[in-house]
Amino acid sequence: MNKRTMSLIGVLAAGAVALTGCSAGSPAAEEGSAEGELSGLTGEIGAKDFSEQYILAHITSQLLNANGADTSANTTVVGSANVRSALESDEFLGYWEYTGTSWITYNGNTAPVAGEEAQFDATKEADAANGIAWLDPAPFNNTYAFAILSDKGEELGVSSLSDIAALPEDEQTFCIESEFSTRDDGWPGLKSAYGIDVPDSNVALLDTGVIYDTTAKGDVCNFGEVFATDGRISALGLTVMEDDESFFPVYQGGFTLKQSTLDEFPAIADVMAEIAPMLTTAEMQRLNALADVDGEDPEDIAADWLEEMGLI
Amino acid sequence: MAVRTAVEVELTGAIQTVAPVRERFWSLRRMLTPIVIVAVLLALYLWIASIPLDSIMQRTLNWDYILLRTREHLVLTFAASFLVAILAIPTGIIASRTTSRLLRGTILTVANIGQATPAIGFIILLAIIWQIGFQTALIALVAYSFLPVLRNTMVGLAQIDPNITESARGMGMTPGQVLTRIELPLAVPVILAGLRTSLVFAVGVATVATFINAGGLGDMIVNGLKLQRFPVLIAGAVIVSCIALLIDWIASIAEDVLRPRGI
Repeated sequence: MNKRTMSLIGVLAAGAVALTGCSAGSPAAEEGSAEGELSGLTGEIGAKDFSEQYILAHITSQLLNANGADTSANTTVVGSANVRSALESDEFLGYWEYTGTSWITYNGNTAPVAGEEAQFDATKEADAANGIAWLDPAPFNNTYAFAILSDKGEELGVSSLSDIAALPEDEQTFCIESEFSTRDDGWPGLKSAYGIDVPDSNVALLDTGVIYDTTAKGDVCNFGEVFATDGRISALGLTVMEDDESFFPVYQGGFTLKQSTLDEFPAIADVMAEIAPMLTTAEMQRLNALADVDGEDPEDIAADWLEEMGLI
Repeated sequence: MAVRTAVEVELTGAIQTVAPVRERFWSLRRMLTPIVIVAVLLALYLWIASIPLDSIMQRTLNWDYILLRTREHLVLTFAASFLVAILAIPTGIIASRTTSRLLRGTILTVANIGQATPAIGFIILLAIIWQIGFQTALIALVAYSFLPVLRNTMVGLAQIDPNITESARGMGMTPGQVLTRIELPLAVPVILAGLRTSLVFAVGVATVATFINAGGLGDMIVNGLKLQRFPVLIAGAVIVSCIALLIDWIASIAEDVLRPRGI
């Protein structure tokens, strides 16, 4: 019995040691030049819970590391507000935020600013008061949109959001996700802006990822709430409805970080400026499709893209 | 007829040496759980009523919404538990009866996988492959809470003194009669305990039904989490916990009531 107990303990101990070796090995620091202009910069680049954010976080982390920093991408936090508060509490070094989200959700404004540039300037100013700095934004606009199967859209004759209210009620079926369903710049606001008045049974609440497939299947809902830069839109044969009342705010992507971090490492702005202009809506759709349609790992997508662009 | 009944009583009484002292059914101790639940819910209500609610919180912290979600949650939980009872108990009987180790092993393995698989991954996968909605959530819940009832049925039947079943056979009962009149009544306490566990599991896991439009209190929790509205998150979590406690308490009463006399 003694021998058996000892061997059992031995097996358990060996197993425990083996498991510690299994800790997720995301190679934090690349073999980047230790003499880079960002040497001494450490921290985590945060991301919200969807592929575009994962890809951007990895791109940022790898690019910064190639310039001497020692950062890693943290893709575990769920929910915009949680990522933002992680930045505010210095748990994250920085992350890619959208102008509209910051303007409305964090700074508490109810109406968006018309125009991309104006929205960015207003947001940058508002966040500066909170000690959060915005680097120059990228061109992509990841706004909320509603998409329908292209064939179905032609059949129903809808091409813009204001066409929806005119449809018969049983064709006005929607798939939305939890955050959108209660946000002021989400479903409640959209309904009043476009005069959509349907019973709750016409609205299905789903997880973000499930919406795309469900919309493509077409039997539960005609219109799915999607993100404009998502690669699955074209891959699944969906068409985006035009936002003719300009209800949805502009959600231009830009890297946010603490002003104090930027003051300490002003070279971050120069490094990030290398990639920002290249990230157009079309490019983001392409990268997102690699993740969501082809199933590639965001870390690999980031590395491949940076190599393609000749940056690492 | 009377003779057989008397012998049955003697048989079932034979495994017990001392009759337990039956205390009053509705004692204070028994009522303690519901009293605590009511107190917690009251405290929650008073707290929510006292804090300022912004427009986002008002959409979820109102009676219509909370009652709707609670009703959806309870319907899902009870439907799943009912299905588990009518599926898992016969399966457990088959598994304990069969001589085929392959069959028994397969049944147990499948039930184990059902519980070990992360519920949220399973339910979303099922939703994408098949369809979203209540039925899919039901299947995922049944798969998740299958194991306790299955296991307990097998254990309950296995722990019966073989002398009893042999005596019953010797009296001329068919195997079917032995099962329904001797074995199952003796196994009922253990099976009910398994059902009780399974019910509590189901309440907890029913929270993931929100991801595929099957409603439930998970919607409050996810909403509160994603938008960082903590009162919403806490309200959802507390209500789910109270439901779990309440169901556990009701099940414990059912256990005592349904326990066959003489056991």
